[in-house]
Amino acid sequence: MVRPARSTIHQGSLRRGLATLALVLPPLGWLILFFLAPIVLVGMYSVGGLTLYRNDVYLTLDAWSRFLDGSVYLALFWKSVRMALTVSVLAVLLAYPVAYYLALCTKGRKYVLLLFIITPFLTSYLLRLLAWRVILGSHGVVNSFLLWSGMRRAPVEWLLHSPFAVILVLTYVWVPFVCLPIFVTLDTMDRSLLEAAGDLGASRWRTFWRVTFRMSTPGVLAAFAFVFIPTIGEFVTPLLVGGPKGFMFGNAIADLFGPGFDWQTGSVLGVFLLLVVGVVIGIFARSMRLSEVTSR
Amino acid sequence: MSDIAISRPGLWGLRALFAATAIFLYAPILILVLFSFNRGTTAVFPIQGLTTDWYRQLFTNHDLIESLRTSALVAVLSSVTAVLLGVLMSLSLVRRRFLGKSVVTGVALAPLVMPYVVLGISLLILFNAAGIPLSIFTVTIAHVVVTLPFTVLILVPRLSRVDRSLEEAAQDLGAPPARTFLAVTLPLILPAVVSSFLIAFVVSFDEYVVASFLVGDRATYPIYLFSQLRFPNRLPQVLAVATVMLVVSFVIVLLAEVSQRFGEQRLLGR
Repeated sequence: MVRPARSTIHQGSLRRGLATLALVLPPLGWLILFFLAPIVLVGMYSVGGLTLYRNDVYLTLDAWSRFLDGSVYLALFWKSVRMALTVSVLAVLLAYPVAYYLALCTKGRKYVLLLFIITPFLTSYLLRLLAWRVILGSHGVVNSFLLWSGMRRAPVEWLLHSPFAVILVLTYVWVPFVCLPIFVTLDTMDRSLLEAAGDLGASRWRTFWRVTFRMSTPGVLAAFAFVFIPTIGEFVTPLLVGGPKGFMFGNAIADLFGPGFDWQTGSVLGVFLLLVVGVVIGIFARSMRLSEVTSR
Repeated sequence: MSDIAISRPGLWGLRALFAATAIFLYAPILILVLFSFNRGTTAVFPIQGLTTDWYRQLFTNHDLIESLRTSALVAVLSSVTAVLLGVLMSLSLVRRRFLGKSVVTGVALAPLVMPYVVLGISLLILFNAAGIPLSIFTVTIAHVVVTLPFTVLILVPRLSRVDRSLEEAAQDLGAPPARTFLAVTLPLILPAVVSSFLIAFVVSFDEYVVASFLVGDRATYPIYLFSQLRFPNRLPQVLAVATVMLVVSFVIVLLAEVSQRFGEQRLLGR
């Protein structure tokens, strides 16, 4: 009697295992085929393990050593890091008071107001970039207004096609999104901590620094990482508003796979960018907790 | 609201900051809309009178309409695929126990932090190495990778709040797993399914970076829009179509949000 029972249990768990496999295999297979495998291919391409064109060199680390040995691309990378840092810090600084206001100083309407702030982030990215092109151009809204009102005699040229434009527009793009994780940490904070600090005689500033800000650091760190990671590899914004002076690392990669036509060097840059992103994620992994931050 | 959080003058300061941020966020969008009605062909002050000509011209711009149709096709194909795969992925993450689940979760969400430039070049290398010519299908494949994590992020929280005893009851009554899913689980998560479809659709429709590497000779809408920016005299039309798309994407996102709220109420049995 025991044996058949055991075998049905075994069959049951086998069937369940197969069912799980049937569920997980289609999406996982898609990601393996079109996400993980291509990354492996870029890695192979960067060392010549895969060559497609005549100027690719078979099995060599030359492209890597040329890149790491003080190339223009490495300089461009550090410039992109500086720009991404500036954008992330600015976005957090601008978003923090907004998130603080929504979480701690409003009553019923806070989710409506939060949605109001986030909505621009959900509308077309391209169109928001386009809007800034219209605003900042040498014949744009700001300059024509300055000329028309007589405040300036000549248009301000550095408004568009400059690192300034890239930083301004990227900050603009990310502020609404950054509000979200900061808001979540402030909103879920235990209010009685604030009351306790007040009862114990702490001033508002002291309460803010010692209690509120500390409680919100996971949200701030997550927000920082969520801006820094995509910004370091940014490509469209510099293309549209950056001009040659505002070019970033991502543009160099795109150029090497386009007009520059050196896929091997381009792959080196791509792999390097991925490694950097991986390291940043490693550093911020604990505060990022993707699923928690994004699901309310 | 607790007094220790903010002083009275501080509250006014924060309100001012909030208002300033709101203006900073919305002013560029409103300026874009305003200049789409400008009679002049350049976006300069002062406005030279209002017109709807640019909007009327959109209807006769065949390249534009063609690009919109291409993008709609890519967005429908990729978001339907992404939602199907996303449902399967979410079911396995929420309802199943298996070895390496945390790794699978990581892989499913990883495209969110993948630089799109690198995703673009890596797929370009893949398709080149495999000898697959670039077309709207290569863009579609890439957009499924891009949008799949969004669907998982929307579906997983919803699915994990569906009362499991309902599914067990159906199975106890003899319904096979597929039937249980279709008759019990799916209706309960349907709002999240709709919402994830809409979000995936919007993301795909607006996606430029990956598409710029993988598009064949049929331009998607963002690619077309980009190509038009080189010609200053096309700006008014670009602004007009931009305004239309802005309103459309706004409505779709709003629908997605409403759908989520609706699902919330249904889960709570109201």
